[in-house]
Amino acid sequence: MSIAPVTAVTAVTPVQGLAGTGAVTAPASDGSAFASVLGSVDSLQQMQATTDGLAVQAVTGDLDDVHDYTIAAAQSSLAIELTAAVRNKAVEAFSEIMRMQA
Amino acid sequence: MGLFDAIGIAGSGLTVHRKWLDALSDNIANADDVTATSDGAFRERYVVAQEMAGGGVQVAGVVLGDADGRVVQDPSNPLADADGYVRQADVDLTSQMTQLILAQRGYQANAAVVDRAKESYQAALQIGRTS
Repeated sequence: MSIAPVTAVTAVTPVQGLAGTGAVTAPASDGSAFASVLGSVDSLQQMQATTDGLAVQAVTGDLDDVHDYTIAAAQSSLAIELTAAVRNKAVEAFSEIMRMQA
Repeated sequence: MGLFDAIGIAGSGLTVHRKWLDALSDNIANADDVTATSDGAFRERYVVAQEMAGGGVQVAGVVLGDADGRVVQDPSNPLADADGYVRQADVDLTSQMTQLILAQRGYQANAAVVDRAKESYQAALQIGRTS
């Protein structure tokens, strides 16, 4: 009775990245991702400044179009709601990570 | 294209309709103007609307009606010439009032677009908030 020779173990194929999960791009180490968030806060501030300027024009009688003010007010209120929503989501995600147990 | 384009475009429509209302207001206010026959009559204002490149509408300019007006006889008028004629503005009030309705409805339609767009964006912000 002969023993069959042991065949060579085939090389293990390297584990592929999980399909389906979108690659999460790491934020650049120079902190540019955070800077871009600050940039959008700046544009929000600009929007608020425009609204404030139009409000001053409205009370001083320099406003040409009533709707210019109401539209600017609507836009800045929407923008601030959007910013607050994004901020709340970010804080929520951070808290979720902090609650993680080993 | 920006974040709140629908609102901005409707805003440009509001501005054009406001200017149309201004022109109509001027036409109606001057409908009874009388001038001497040696002068030109009041010229109606027509607002010319034009589409904007990135979306929206703008006033391309204002076209004036003819200065001939209507020459009527009114010898008692101090402006009357030797033959007793004066020149009246030839403004068709019926047409102006019809246009007034159109301008008002157009303005209201654009204002409604602003409101609906705002409501839509707010609905988008509610997505995923029911937790």
